[in-house]
Amino acid sequence: MPAAVRLALNQLQRDRILVPVWILGIALLGFATASAVSSEFGEVGERQAIVAVAAANPAFLFLRGVPDGFGIGAVVFFQGFAFTALLAGLMSTLLVVRHTRTDEELGRAELIGSTPLRRTAPLAATLLVGGAANLVLAGCVAVGYIAAGLPAAGSVTAGLAVAAVGLFFVPVAAVVAQLMPSGHSANGAAASLVGAAYLLRGVGDAIGTPNADLTQVMSSWVSLLSPIGWGQRSRPFSAADTMPLLVLAVAAATVAAVVLITRNRRDLGASLLPERVGRSHGRLRSFVGLAWVLQRPILIGWCVGAAVMGGLAGGLGPVIADAVAGNTSLKELIGRLVPGSSADIVDVFTAALIGIAGVLAAAAGIQGVLRLRAEETEGRAELLLTVPKSRTNWLVANLMLAIASATVVAGVAGAAAAVGIFLTGTAGTPAIQLIAASLAHVPAAAIFIAAPAVIFAAIPRLSVPIGWGLLAGGLVLGQFGELLGLPEWLQAVSPFHHSPAMPVESFDPGSALVMGIVALGGGAIAAYLIQHRDLTG
Amino acid sequence: MADTTDPIIEVRGLGKVFGKTRALDGLDLSVAAGEVHGFLGPNGAGKSTTLRILLGLIRPSSGTATVFGADPWREPVRSHQDLAYVPGDVSLWPNLSGGEVIDLLTGLRGGADTALRRRLIDAFEFDPRRKTRTYSKGNRQKVALIAAFARPARLYVLDEPSSGLDPIMESVFRSEIGRVHDDGATVLLSSHILSEVEQLCDRVTIIRAGRVVESGSLTALRHLKRTHFRVEGVDGRVLANLPGIQDVRVDGLTTEFEVEAATLPLVLEGVAAARPTGLTVSPPSLESLFLRHYAEPSSANDGAGEDRAGRVD
Repeated sequence: MPAAVRLALNQLQRDRILVPVWILGIALLGFATASAVSSEFGEVGERQAIVAVAAANPAFLFLRGVPDGFGIGAVVFFQGFAFTALLAGLMSTLLVVRHTRTDEELGRAELIGSTPLRRTAPLAATLLVGGAANLVLAGCVAVGYIAAGLPAAGSVTAGLAVAAVGLFFVPVAAVVAQLMPSGHSANGAAASLVGAAYLLRGVGDAIGTPNADLTQVMSSWVSLLSPIGWGQRSRPFSAADTMPLLVLAVAAATVAAVVLITRNRRDLGASLLPERVGRSHGRLRSFVGLAWVLQRPILIGWCVGAAVMGGLAGGLGPVIADAVAGNTSLKELIGRLVPGSSADIVDVFTAALIGIAGVLAAAAGIQGVLRLRAEETEGRAELLLTVPKSRTNWLVANLMLAIASATVVAGVAGAAAAVGIFLTGTAGTPAIQLIAASLAHVPAAAIFIAAPAVIFAAIPRLSVPIGWGLLAGGLVLGQFGELLGLPEWLQAVSPFHHSPAMPVESFDPGSALVMGIVALGGGAIAAYLIQHRDLTG
Repeated sequence: MADTTDPIIEVRGLGKVFGKTRALDGLDLSVAAGEVHGFLGPNGAGKSTTLRILLGLIRPSSGTATVFGADPWREPVRSHQDLAYVPGDVSLWPNLSGGEVIDLLTGLRGGADTALRRRLIDAFEFDPRRKTRTYSKGNRQKVALIAAFARPARLYVLDEPSSGLDPIMESVFRSEIGRVHDDGATVLLSSHILSEVEQLCDRVTIIRAGRVVESGSLTALRHLKRTHFRVEGVDGRVLANLPGIQDVRVDGLTTEFEVEAATLPLVLEGVAAARPTGLTVSPPSLESLFLRHYAEPSSANDGAGEDRAGRVD
């Protein structure tokens, strides 16, 4: 067996959980999108309407991609392809960096490098693993689409289109891993490239030209600067053409050859960009200070996400209003996202997106709290807990910073919504009210932040899965409970269900107070329990 | 050698059970004020577990531990008031520079002595500006050592602190121990490096499988041990009858054996009477003592430990 294949099997073994989760997740998303389109837009007329709406609105084109006819498959592809391809790209970059720069940084690559193998063998193995993962992804996405009732031939082409984008980013991430000094920075840079591919495609699609009857949009040349744009050109359900996918595969092979040559000439551990030098003196003197410095880069990431979400909520509102003016089915769909659907359509849209910003706020906070667990398992907590400060102090500092992070993320979302409305030049909801609408989700977010803190103090091993699991459960129940027709009592389990959907609903001080007290109680329990268990790790 | 003042660390009958594993099994340890105490034992003997209990990070299953007269589990803040700790495996925040970590850790204890900090960074030839993710094991160790020594403490708890340091840095480390010792601080030092223990420690405690097998001053332990003889040019059978000799090995006209301190004068007379052509007498080596404790299976160990009169003070 060639060495690269043997190494590839070893890398696959390390990835045996993570990569299948990615692949199945992406395939399930495809299945869910296809099912939703079939049930929500079963009638040809409905699909024709939504395609016409989208074709006439650059904002839709930017977000989703270009419509290409109104067959069910074509609408599914238009709705879901760009985002699915984005996920495939991220799967590839994370996979590649994990086995290249991160291994080098942690010294594992050195062990392999000392064996009688060619210097390029580990990298070649990673490229093989990335290629195999994307091939399986193509199959799974195709099966998902077919299972949802889409035509088989088109489904296979669509699966290949998603995988072709993922495949393209395998050698690209490998190049990034050669250049960047750490696994962390390589992941960031490679993910940014995937994001840039999405944005370039968005710009190219937004300035594309719709045909006369608004059934199709031809994206501009800018989209072809992005692999996602090329994947979109395969048009699986209208005029299937695998040529653009071949172009991506050839490009991937070329970049792969270049990166293998680069690796052969590079010292192990060397990078084009050197690690930046830090301060010789620190100003950190407290647990809160440390938590802040560690949370800052993460918080910036969540704030960018919240700003995009808020900006869309504000900026797209008027566009939506125009678009759905004559379309009752779309109006109904958006209305179902928020109770009280008789309200103004723009407010409903804004409230729904701001609700998602509330989830982002909770996620930012959860990540802050779960850092406690990382500090413990990675052995840094014992340095912190041997100083004359209590464990309670350590936990509360991180908890408070987590709640503050959630508040900041929510505030940013509200402010961005206000800016979005201002830029469209319409007289929408006043800025103060939009910010209040976002901040109204903070009490619910606080419960999601306090819960993993309690788990961390009681059963530390489970804090990470339960922390994120609760958020996922709350998101499904609170945001989509109505849409999925779940019973009222089940929906009421989620704190998000008790957040007022401002500006549609009015602020409810009672429920906010109750949620605040629950979160505070959770924090107090966590602070008590953390003093009574062994430090692990 | 018993100290009249209260010991800084007092451990009685300490036990710790992790699931089905018994990590500590009735361990006793007493560290007097102002002494440098070596804490030795093979891997998995329970050294780090003991230190983690003394630091209040984990709770003992049985027995008692006090540090500065306080129970470290109940009163971690009080027992940490004047304490500096260096873990065995130093893990740091990859995004912070070494200098930032040093200032964070000393800051949490009340702030570094700036002159001391500067001197330590020079002495350890340490670059505080690099991000800790780029540090080797030795450099990460230096971060923890500088942070521990840059602010005066009354008790230093060090878990194999010089692992990863080169010989020059080891000597810097030893001189820092000497300095804090001269200042009257107490040091509990777990170690594998015998020369380090011999040079630094006033007293040592050796543990195995969660129990103490030897504890005492280094001098007392040395006296307890047997002197090694190598006699040449004499028929081995003649020497075999000497009183109190042990581990006799005969190879032609060369005979090797061990002698307890008590019977040394008699043996010397007997050897002289045998008129040897060559004689080598080696002092009792600490190494042989450690190797014996380290290598014995734990079942055989219990009796053997008692044979050697367990505690010598």
